[in-house]
Amino acid sequence: MDQKVLDRIRQTVTTHDIVLYMKGTPQFPQCRFSGLAAQVLKDCGVKDYLAVNVMADREIHDNLKYYADWPTFPQLYIKGELIGGSDIMKDLFDKGELQKLLANVSAQ
Amino acid sequence: MMTPENVKAYIQQGLDCEHVQVEGDGRHFEAVIVSKAFVGKGALQQHQIVYRALADRMDAIHALSMKTFTPEQWANRP
Repeated sequence: MDQKVLDRIRQTVTTHDIVLYMKGTPQFPQCRFSGLAAQVLKDCGVKDYLAVNVMADREIHDNLKYYADWPTFPQLYIKGELIGGSDIMKDLFDKGELQKLLANVSAQ
Repeated sequence: MMTPENVKAYIQQGLDCEHVQVEGDGRHFEAVIVSKAFVGKGALQQHQIVYRALADRMDAIHALSMKTFTPEQWANRP
């Protein structure tokens, strides 16, 4: 576990309202769960978010699991808080709750 | 290679479950888990409880899709 990397993650999720750590990019996801997560954000109409490709950043890939105690990708952070992976995102989306969380962000 | 039976056993070892079902291809797994430990907790915390139960084994599990239920939710599912 590298504290410098954890600090870097904290910096990222606190300076960007919406951050998706994923494998690949929203245009070219490298895993179907990451692809699903990007698709869910697209379906919510989110245009402005930071997508971090963990396959292109070894340090993030190896340390993110320590940050919020979550060992898999993708991971969605809204206003610095871990919302969950693709299961939770899809579930919240189906219930209309993800859209509400995201609407609160742009309202500010 | 990890099998669904392995994953099921590891979950049961680390967590008091009323019911566990695991399917998977050796890399991606899908689990349905019913446990009293989930009562009063949101989905995020429920999944974290399962991840903690699996701990180091998560390195060998490429992906785990989870549906978590409290005993009451499971009994009342449609």
